[in-house]
Amino acid sequence: MSGASHTSTLHRYLAGGWALFLTRWSVPLIWLILLLLLTFGMSHMEGVFRLVEPDTREVIYRRTSFAALLGQHLLVVGVASLLAILLGVGAAIAVTRPAGRDFQPMVAQLASIGQTFPPVAVLALAVPALGFGTLPIIVALLLYGLLPIVRNTLAGLSGIDAGVREAARGMGMTGGQILRQVELPLAAPVILAGIRTSVTINIATAAIGATVGASNLGDPIISGIVNGNTAYIVQGAVLIGLLAITIDSLFDRLQRHRPLST
Amino acid sequence: MTIIPRRSNRVLLCLMLAGVLSWLMLDAVSMAPNRIVPGTPHRAHEVMGWWLSLLSLLPMLAIAALAWRPDTGRLRVALGLLVLLLAAMPLWLAAAVSALADPSMPQARLGIGPALWVLLFLWLLGVIELRTRLGLSRPMGWLLLVPVLLGWWLALSRWLEPLALYREYQGRSDQFISAVGHHLALVGAAVGASLVVGVSLALAMRRFPGLRRAGFGVLNFIQTIPSLALFGLLLAPLAWLAGRFDWLASLGVSGIGWAPAWLALVGYSLLPMVRNTYVALEEVDPAVIESARGMGMSRRQAFLQVRLPLALPVMLEGVRITTVQAIGLTAVAALIGAGGLGTFIFQGLGQAAMDLVLLGALPIIALALVADALLGALTERLRHGGAS
Amino acid sequence: MIELFDVTKRFGSETAVDGISLRVEKGEFCALVGTSGCGKSTTLRMINRLIEHSEGEIHLEGQPVRSFNEESLRRRIGYAIQNTGLFPHWTVARNIGLVPRLLKWPKARILDRVEELMGLLGLPVEEFSRKYPHQLSGGQAQRVGVARALAADPDILLMDEPFGALDPITRETLQGELRDLQARLHKTIVFVTHDMDEALALADRLVVMHQGRIVQQGRPIDLLRNPVDDFVESLLGGMDRGLKEAALTRVSERMMSFGPRLLASERVSYDASLSQALSVMLWHRVDRLTVVDDEDIPIGELSLRRLLGARSS
Repeated sequence: MSGASHTSTLHRYLAGGWALFLTRWSVPLIWLILLLLLTFGMSHMEGVFRLVEPDTREVIYRRTSFAALLGQHLLVVGVASLLAILLGVGAAIAVTRPAGRDFQPMVAQLASIGQTFPPVAVLALAVPALGFGTLPIIVALLLYGLLPIVRNTLAGLSGIDAGVREAARGMGMTGGQILRQVELPLAAPVILAGIRTSVTINIATAAIGATVGASNLGDPIISGIVNGNTAYIVQGAVLIGLLAITIDSLFDRLQRHRPLST
Repeated sequence: MTIIPRRSNRVLLCLMLAGVLSWLMLDAVSMAPNRIVPGTPHRAHEVMGWWLSLLSLLPMLAIAALAWRPDTGRLRVALGLLVLLLAAMPLWLAAAVSALADPSMPQARLGIGPALWVLLFLWLLGVIELRTRLGLSRPMGWLLLVPVLLGWWLALSRWLEPLALYREYQGRSDQFISAVGHHLALVGAAVGASLVVGVSLALAMRRFPGLRRAGFGVLNFIQTIPSLALFGLLLAPLAWLAGRFDWLASLGVSGIGWAPAWLALVGYSLLPMVRNTYVALEEVDPAVIESARGMGMSRRQAFLQVRLPLALPVMLEGVRITTVQAIGLTAVAALIGAGGLGTFIFQGLGQAAMDLVLLGALPIIALALVADALLGALTERLRHGGAS
Repeated sequence: MIELFDVTKRFGSETAVDGISLRVEKGEFCALVGTSGCGKSTTLRMINRLIEHSEGEIHLEGQPVRSFNEESLRRRIGYAIQNTGLFPHWTVARNIGLVPRLLKWPKARILDRVEELMGLLGLPVEEFSRKYPHQLSGGQAQRVGVARALAADPDILLMDEPFGALDPITRETLQGELRDLQARLHKTIVFVTHDMDEALALADRLVVMHQGRIVQQGRPIDLLRNPVDDFVESLLGGMDRGLKEAALTRVSERMMSFGPRLLASERVSYDASLSQALSVMLWHRVDRLTVVDDEDIPIGELSLRRLLGARSS
C-alpha cells in the first residue's frame, strides 16, 4: 500500500469520524455553545436587559463573573454527582452480593421512601447539621442524589434475566467476572437513567443552595429577588436553564447511543 | 411473603450497635438561654448520670439479642420495643428539660442534639427493616406510628414547652397554620389544574398522534428546567402582563406571588400526569377492549366502563408523583413570595435560626410522606378492587 | 463418570433431594425424569455445585466435587438450560467462546473452536457470528446454547430441559441433532426433562424421580416393560406405553426378507420406528409393508404379525 493512499484513507476515516461525532453530539453541542456564548457575552447585553429593567441603575449582575458562577455550579454538582455515583452504585452492588444481601430490603425501602423527601427540605436540613457554605450543599446533593442511583442500580441488577445469571455461574464465571462482564453492562442503561435523574435534580437543588451561602448560578436570581431586579433574575434563570438542558441532552444522547441497547 | 432467615439479622445488629455508639458518644441535647445565644451541648450521661444512661441502653441491647437468633415471635417483640423507644424519646426529652432547667432562665430553649437525630433515623430504619421481614401490611405499618405520635403529643402538650422547635411554633402558631393551608391550597390548585389539562392533553394525544411527539417533547423540556430558573423566567413576563392589563393585576397576578408559582407547578405537573394517563390508557389489554366491543358495548361505553377503570390505578400513580413533587416545589416557590411552609425555611436560613428552618422543613417532609402514603393506599385499593 | 452416594439436599426444613445414589458411566446419556418439583433439577445443579449438597458425596471421575475449585469445576462441565441464558449484550460468537476465554485459550484457538462448533450445530458462521441473541429464533438460540456448553470440549454435559421452551417441530429436530452429536462425541450427559417422550428418544438410561427420591432407573425398554409402580407407569404413558415401546424399536430390527407373496403396495423406511410402521398400517388398513432403504429401494418386508411378534432381545 502506497503512502499517499494510506494517508488519504486515514484522512477519510478521520473526516468520517468527525462527521459522525458531530451528527451524534450536535444537539448537546448547540446547547453548550449557546450556554458559553451567554455566559461570556452576558455583560455585553446591557441594551437587552435595559428593556426589562428601564429604571434600575445596574442591569447586569456584576458581583461575580458569570463564568465563575457557572464554574462553581458545575464543580458542586460534579463533585456531588461523582461521589453519589460511586457510593450509590457501590452500595447497590454491595447489597446484591451474597455478603450484603441481608441489607437489600432496607436499602431498597430507604431509597424509595427517601425520594419522597423534597430536595429543598433535605438541603434545609443539611444546614442545621453542617452550617452554611458549599460543604452542606455538596453533602445534601450527595445524599439526595444517591437515592435515584441506588434505586435504579438495584432495579437494573434485579431486572437481569435469571437464566443469564444462572448460565454465567454454570459456565464457571467468578462473582467478579459476572459483575463486570454480565451484570453491569446489562444494567448500564437503567443505571444511566438513574444518574440522569440524579444530576438533573442536583443542578436544580444546587441553585437553591445560593440561599445557604454557596455562590453559583442561583446567586443572581436570589439577589434579583431580594433587590427587586428582574434583569438579574432573568440572567441567572437563563443560564441555569441552559446548563440543565445541555447536561440533559448530553445524557439523552448517551442513552440513545449505547451500541447494544436494543 | 414472610422471609425469616435462621441466621442472625445482621441489619438490626448493625443498627443497634450504631445506636449504642451514638448514644454514648454524641451530644444528646443542647440548652440555650435564649434564641440568640448558641446552646451548650450535653451528652446523655451528663443529663442523667452514667448509671441511668447505661441502663437506658437496655432496650437496644435487648433488640440486638432478639436479632441474634430471630424468629417471627422474637422479631415481633423487637418491633414492639422499637416502637416503645420511639414513643419514649419525647418523654426522655421532657426528663432532660426538668434535669437541665434553670429557673433563672425562663426563655431557655432545648435543642435536639445529633445523638437523638441519629437514633431517630436508626430506629425508623429498624422499623422499616422489621416491617419488611415480618411482611406487615401498609396500614399495619401506619398503625405502629400511633403510639409514637401519642407520646410526642403528650410530651409536647405538658412538659416540652422549652423545646426550641416548639417555641418557634408557639411564636407563630397562627402563621404556621395559615402557611400549611396556603401550601396545601397551592399544591391542590396546581394538581387539580394539571389533572384537568393533563387528562385532556392525553386524550387529545390519543386522537392526534402528531401531537404526541411534540407534546412530550415540550413537557420533557419544561421538566428539565430547574425550578428556581422557571420561577424566575415566569416572573418577568407576568410582571409585564400585570402592568399591561389592570384586570390581571386586580386578580392578584404579578411577577411575584402565587401566579408564577402556580403556573410553574402546573408546568412541572403536566409531564407525569400526561405520561401516566397516556400510558395507562394505551396499555389496557386490547383483547379486553375487543371483547367489550364484541359483547356489543358502544365505543363510549367501552371507554367509560372498561378502559378508564382499568387505567385508573396508573393514572392515580401520576397524581401521586405530581402531588409529592408539587409539595416540594411549592417550598421553593416561597422564594418568589408564594407563601407556604417554604417561607419558614428561607426566613430561618436568612436569620440563621435553625429551629425555624426545621419548623418549615419537617412539616414539608411529613406532608410529602402522608400524601405519598394516602395516594399510594388509594391506588392499591383501586388495583385490588376489580382492576387488573 | 459421575457418582452420587446417598446425596441429600435440604432447603430450610424442606427436603428437595432425599438420599439418592446414582452412577452415570462415561459416555452414557442419562435422563432424569419426573414431575416438576421432584428434585431432578436440584440433583443436576448439585453436580456442578450451583447448589451445594447437604449430605452424602458426589464424585467426578472418582474425586469428590468439593475437592475442586467451584469455578474451575464448572469450566470443565458443559451446562445448557431451558432459556438458553445467552448473554444479550454479546454476539453469538462471543457467547460461544465464553468458557475458552475464561480458560485463557489463545485468541486464534478460540476463533477456530467457535467456527468449528458453529459448523457442528448448523449455524453458518458468516450469517450468525455477529448476530445478537435477540435476533435469533428459539431453535437457533438453543443451538448457540448447546454450542456454548460444548465450547471447551468438556467430557461431561449437564442439560436442564434445554428444549423445554421450543415448539414441537423444532424440539424434535434438535433432539435428532443432539442424538447424532452424541453418537459422534460420546459425552457423558445428564439431561433433565419432564417430557417422557424426549427422555425415551434420547436416553441410554432413564432415572425416574418422585418427591426427591429415585423411584426406578434402568434402560428405557426395561422401564417400559416393568414399571415398578403405578406412578412410573402413569408417567410412562399408561395405556400408551405400547406405542412408546414401539417407538423405541426400529423397523430394521423386525423386518424379514421377502416372502413368496407380491410386494406390498405401502412402504416404510427401514429407519422408521415400529410405532410409525403401525400407524402406516392403520392408516391404509393393511397388514403388510414393504421396507425400503434411503434410496427408496425395497429391501424387505414387515408384517403385522411380525410387528406384534415375539419380543426380540
